[in-house]
Amino acid sequence: MKALEKLDSHLKNRLTDLNKAKEQGRKIIGYPAGGYLPEELVLACDAIPICFIRAGGNDVLKDAMAYICRWFDPFWRSQIGYLTSGKDPYYTIADLIVIPITDNHVRVFSNTAGYYTPEIKSFVFGVPHVKDEISLAYYLQGISRLKKKLEEFTGVELTESRLKQSIELCNRERELLREISLMRKSDNFVVDSKDFVALNNGSFLADKEVMVEILESFIEELKEAVPLPKDGPRILLTGSTLAQGDSKVMDIIEATGGVVVMEEFAEGIRPYWGKVKLEGDLMYNLAESYFMERVCPGWFRPGTERLDFLIKLARDYNAAGLIWYQLMYRESYKVESYFFPDILKKETGLPMLTVESEYDAMETGPMKTRIETFIEIIRR
Amino acid sequence: MANYYDELFKLCGFEDEEIEKERLRVEKTLVRLGIGPDDMQTADSWVRQNHDVTLKGVRKLLGAWLKELIDLVLARDEGKKIVYYGFPAILGPGLMLSASSEDVFVSAPDMVLNHTMGQIFNKLIPILEAGEANGLPPGHALCSLWQAKIGGIAKGMIPVPHLALASSYYCDMGSKADDLVTALYGVPVAYIDGVMDSKWGEYPEYRPERVHYLGAQINQALKKAEKVLDIEIVPDAWERSQEDSRPFRDNLVRLVELMRADPVPVSIAELELMEALSASSTGRGIREGIKAMEILIDELEERVKEGIGVSEKGSPRVMLRAGHTSDPRVTRLVEETGLAVPLTFILGSWGGIRVTPKGNYNTPGEIIADYEMAGGYYYGTDAQIQFYEKAAELMKLDGFIATYLYNCRPVATISHPQKNYLEEKTGLPVLSLEIDGFDSRAYSAASLRTKVETFAEMLKAKKASVRA
Repeated sequence: MKALEKLDSHLKNRLTDLNKAKEQGRKIIGYPAGGYLPEELVLACDAIPICFIRAGGNDVLKDAMAYICRWFDPFWRSQIGYLTSGKDPYYTIADLIVIPITDNHVRVFSNTAGYYTPEIKSFVFGVPHVKDEISLAYYLQGISRLKKKLEEFTGVELTESRLKQSIELCNRERELLREISLMRKSDNFVVDSKDFVALNNGSFLADKEVMVEILESFIEELKEAVPLPKDGPRILLTGSTLAQGDSKVMDIIEATGGVVVMEEFAEGIRPYWGKVKLEGDLMYNLAESYFMERVCPGWFRPGTERLDFLIKLARDYNAAGLIWYQLMYRESYKVESYFFPDILKKETGLPMLTVESEYDAMETGPMKTRIETFIEIIRR
Repeated sequence: MANYYDELFKLCGFEDEEIEKERLRVEKTLVRLGIGPDDMQTADSWVRQNHDVTLKGVRKLLGAWLKELIDLVLARDEGKKIVYYGFPAILGPGLMLSASSEDVFVSAPDMVLNHTMGQIFNKLIPILEAGEANGLPPGHALCSLWQAKIGGIAKGMIPVPHLALASSYYCDMGSKADDLVTALYGVPVAYIDGVMDSKWGEYPEYRPERVHYLGAQINQALKKAEKVLDIEIVPDAWERSQEDSRPFRDNLVRLVELMRADPVPVSIAELELMEALSASSTGRGIREGIKAMEILIDELEERVKEGIGVSEKGSPRVMLRAGHTSDPRVTRLVEETGLAVPLTFILGSWGGIRVTPKGNYNTPGEIIADYEMAGGYYYGTDAQIQFYEKAAELMKLDGFIATYLYNCRPVATISHPQKNYLEEKTGLPVLSLEIDGFDSRAYSAASLRTKVETFAEMLKAKKASVRA
């Protein structure tokens, strides 16, 4: 599709473009995956947000071993590897790294940035693990500190009108992603989920206005597209992280005849269900949307909101089964994967399969066997 | 009338009249735990192998754990309202609940099982396996303390609590495992949330927002506890809980002083019994523990006067992060290689190094939160490592055995920086040692021996060369 080609081409030139922007005095604000940094704040300071979402290869984990033991989520070890090795140019190009700390896997990344790479400027703020008025206030003060930091760092005053503009732009991006995603509810859907993931992943790196244009073109192109074959079981895919470059599980599902109709991930997939309000206190609106209204990741406690959402997604998207993509040592998800199958079965009658990954080529064979068997069982 | 367990209980510091008084409760407890006459010989030799039972204070400490175990196992039978908190814990809320009602039993049951079913009866493994079979499988670096807790409940050894106080300020695994307890047994959870989001190097400074947030969460959890347990937290609960636990803290200070002696007068494996008790019990265990400490301190003062110790005078002195909670052989291994261990992190942070809380806060939650932020443990990784650094001077250390728990993410965060940081700041050698502090199946003393022995030989050679 032309829109995807355009995205590909845009991303190929992205580093060159970013270097040019830097030369013109614009700041690059890097931040790790998780969806808790309101990009609107960065954009409103005329800076460029870049999210670190690359992972999936095993080599960079070896780089990380000089800084942290093995027993952390491989996605976050990958980020440590990229941060310290300089193998991901997006890390080296960032002027400031902003780290919203969610769980201990993110905290270890923050520690590494603080202790081992003090030459890289970083800023941290915390994301509480429960949802209530107290935690909303804490998150709000965190992003308010960030606002101040960005203003100081960029020298640009973050005015109400600038913030409103950036919210409108980001709302538009979310709206378009949502529109594409919702198309997959239909039996005759035309969106390949791998394309959707490519778009979603790409949105973390692309220029925001260019990305909106690409998404609009993509939707236009879909109007002429032929529906995808519908004989494969419809799969709801979930987990903590679906990184750019971690295509193994989706490739296997596709190769074994399954069709991913929805992916629910906390990291690597941009949350697109919500919309930031444009009336009233905009900072509060950002906090409300990013923290309270967003369906929480698995490390929130209790995790029932997300589990309920998965049940809703399974129903809405007429899924025939759920595959839980578990990254090793992400304990919040591992524990939930034990008791959720019974809940899912009770509520929807659907089966669930858990597959695990540590970004190791050796795991591909067993993963394929398990997914193949699961798809076969569903077909019957 | 004497019974098969009398000798073991006496070995663990019970007086004859205490056994008689508790006989029915003891027997009911042992039946529920599946402990019978055949287990006594193993337990007797296991205790003697691992603990210095010539010290009455040590025997009494073991007894304090047994008393906590009995109270735990029988809590529901005896009509108590049971609260479990996650370990490690901010103790304030649990202490306040305990201080508010005699009908409430607040404890860290996993630690109790570790110290009794592990350290006394050597029967922890089936409990861990039950935890593995009930939601916390092996091979995923999941917390073995939680495996013990879930396993103990699944096997019917310990009761299902009425409320869980989740350590959401520290541990992702523990809080999520509380969700597992809810899913399996319908237990309500009061989450005490916090966010360790200070930037590396900021400690001992901390933002007031962190105190306000954690404090408000504690206050909220206490309100939920009042509602679930149908109790009222008495207005002076905080003061009373502080009053009750003050002797423990005072004794810790005295112990730290004694541990500065050369030779070191007691094994860190014995002090682990005491340190862990302070963080696991809010009831009889801690009260008995205070009495045991006083006896132990008197005994150790005598040892110091007479120059008696558990290591040779002049042995290299190292700090060990913490003792093993279920298998003292892992702790003793360090001393067996000829090293003296005068300090653990907990001894240091409770008894030695003081950071003054910053603010004037009014609510119990904020007072507790302020204290905990200053204390450093729940502040963040760099604060923990700074305590080690200060310990070097306090205890005239020659090196560090910087253990980290592979299956505890908040602790595993220090795996590499602690070695780099301490070597750079103190100039002392650091052995970074990966362990499981609660389960010795994968990380046994035997598997760690070579690493520790090599490090010990290096320290000894270095010390000898300095003397020469």
